[in-house]
Amino acid sequence: MTDLTADTYLPSEGESGLKRAKRIDRRRMLFWVLPPTLWFFVFMIIPYGMLFYYSLGSVDYVTFTPGLSPANFIKVFTTEPYLGVMLLSAKLGLFTAIFSAIIGYPLAFYLAFHAPETVKRFVYLLVIVPWWASYLVKAYAWKTILGTGGILNTMLIGAGIIDEPLTIFLYNQFSVTLTLVYIFTPFAVLSIYAQLERIPTSLIDAALNAGATRWEVFRKVVFPLSIPGILAGAVITFSLGFGDFVAPVLVGGPSSLMISNIVINLLGVAFDWPMAAAIGLVVITLGLALISVAHYLEHRFQHRL
Amino acid sequence: MSYIDIRKLRKSYGAGLKPAVDGIDLSIDRGEFVTLLGSSGCGKTTTLRCIAGLERPDSGEILLDGKDITYDQPSERDMRMVFQDYALFPNLTIADNVAFGLRLKRYRGRYTPEQVKRRIGEYLDLVHLADHGGKKPHQLSGGQKQRAALARALITEPDIVLFDEPLGSLDANLRKAMQIEIKRIHRQLGKTFIYVTHDQEEAMAMSDRIVVMNGGRILQVASPEEIYAAPNCQFVARFIDRANVLSGIVVSTEGGQTQVRLGDGQILRCEGNGVAAGSTVGVMMRADRINIAGGPVDGMNMLKGMLAERLFLGAKHEFVVDLAGEAGQLNVFEQEMPDGLGGEVMLSVSPQDVRLLAE
Ligand SMILES: Nc1ncnc2c1ncn2[C@@H]1O[C@H](COP(=O)(O)OP(=O)(O)OP(=O)(O)O)[C@@H](O)[C@H]1O
Ligand SMILES: [Mg+2]
Repeated sequence: MTDLTADTYLPSEGESGLKRAKRIDRRRMLFWVLPPTLWFFVFMIIPYGMLFYYSLGSVDYVTFTPGLSPANFIKVFTTEPYLGVMLLSAKLGLFTAIFSAIIGYPLAFYLAFHAPETVKRFVYLLVIVPWWASYLVKAYAWKTILGTGGILNTMLIGAGIIDEPLTIFLYNQFSVTLTLVYIFTPFAVLSIYAQLERIPTSLIDAALNAGATRWEVFRKVVFPLSIPGILAGAVITFSLGFGDFVAPVLVGGPSSLMISNIVINLLGVAFDWPMAAAIGLVVITLGLALISVAHYLEHRFQHRL
Repeated sequence: MSYIDIRKLRKSYGAGLKPAVDGIDLSIDRGEFVTLLGSSGCGKTTTLRCIAGLERPDSGEILLDGKDITYDQPSERDMRMVFQDYALFPNLTIADNVAFGLRLKRYRGRYTPEQVKRRIGEYLDLVHLADHGGKKPHQLSGGQKQRAALARALITEPDIVLFDEPLGSLDANLRKAMQIEIKRIHRQLGKTFIYVTHDQEEAMAMSDRIVVMNGGRILQVASPEEIYAAPNCQFVARFIDRANVLSGIVVSTEGGQTQVRLGDGQILRCEGNGVAAGSTVGVMMRADRINIAGGPVDGMNMLKGMLAERLFLGAKHEFVVDLAGEAGQLNVFEQEMPDGLGGEVMLSVSPQDVRLLAE
């Protein structure tokens, strides 16, 4: 019994071939399934369980009292500002997803169909490289662009279009959305590009050959086949935008506070962990629902290419 | 001047690569059924794609009715193609695939919605896919996809239809039926069909003219009958119905006949002359023109060989006869079965059925 691997292949007394094969299968299964199961348990089940446990309790100043009350969940939907902020987060997340897709599509299209191999690699790098810089730095960069002493105002004054620096660019929903779109567009680009790459050129040839104009080729063939990529990208950008808390702090104002900021405040300032846990669970549930719908749609539009 | 004129067409897929099409000259008349025939990789698809405008030639020109269309957009040409890999749109049903052309801006207003609907039905019927109109391409077999692609190309009744091995994945029976169908459509519409296949039997059965290609070049352009009876080189002879081609040396030319000495020393007489004595030539004989003989026959070439193999083909037997030395092999079609393998046989072939071929 020193060599475990050899042992698995040795039939024991009176064991049939089928039984032995099944025994070996079971052992192999254990080997492949155990680590992910363990991972899933430690990093998913336990944290979610704790979250759920906290969300049903309450806090008195700083002492946590376990309980079984749905009060926190009711509060999420009935007490300001939770529901409103959640809707606002969803709105900004949706804007992020939509604008990222709109901005990302042409670039992905160019990369997939028109860029020569060298340009493709170069642009690909340009899309990836900003991720080597910290998110914070990039969000901060927009502050210097949009602020009263920023590049935009300086340029507008220089051009004689305005006399005084404008404050409308910064600390509002516009600046938050702009920053989020800027930061997350690469996800949309890569996701759409991956899908466009899969479209066989022979389909485009066939459409052109049938007499389709370039626009018709796009509208009737390329675009419908790229929808799964758009959706996959949108789920990512929406989720990232929805849950973001850096952009609202750096370039946002009171009107653009997002749900993650609320949760952070509840945790760090108000010490209301149960409320934070309840919000977290609601957000996770909504996220799951959203991803399921997107997943269904993706499959609905995914054709065998 | 012909309807389609292809002049010195050349196309390479990259610097340093051997050209896929290497200087092709071809004229096609209106209403003709022309087939490009050749083995895999000889440039048939590339030629077709150049004609359709899906590939930009490196040089040469393509004229349509005398007008240079070499670099026109593909959608500007009234040509439809049946693609070798079908290229059906996976997001559309079979009916919508077939109707794709009809619904484009280009054809808007030509047909009323009812007419569009009726045509879709007609063309699905034509390719025996009436029951499959609502399915998506991935739910169809290879042969069904191919037929859908056929219907899609024909539905707008283009002036020119380009077929790239449109029957490649059909079984023998359906293949035959579709061949007849395509022939019928050709006769009925009177449009110009340019057809690609590597199946010489299909090419012979369907075409007005056959273009035999090899290595990006055209070897011979002629009617099926002429290609069969009078191939202009050894490659064409071998490619069409696997003709027997032996090489030999011309020993004499007299009285309208040429005598050729084969590798094993036997002398073969054939009609015609024009090749100088001493030169190396190929001689071609069709398997069905060679007979197994009991003894010498007057006026015929007699060849001795060894019966090496026997294949039953249904309506006939095929025999493989080895000539002595390195002289080669002959395939012979016969109704009757001669004596056992390994024995010596005598073959007879008329001098008229032996053709001299340039090396
Ligand atoms: N996109 C391409 N890039 C590089 N080489 C190509 C490309 N398409 C074809 N070729 C090459 O060009 C030559 C001719 O190809 P083509 O597709 O025209 O052959 P074909 O006669 O249609 O063959 P088949 O009967 O197998 O379809 C081949 O040697 C092929 O490898
Ligand atoms: Mg081909």
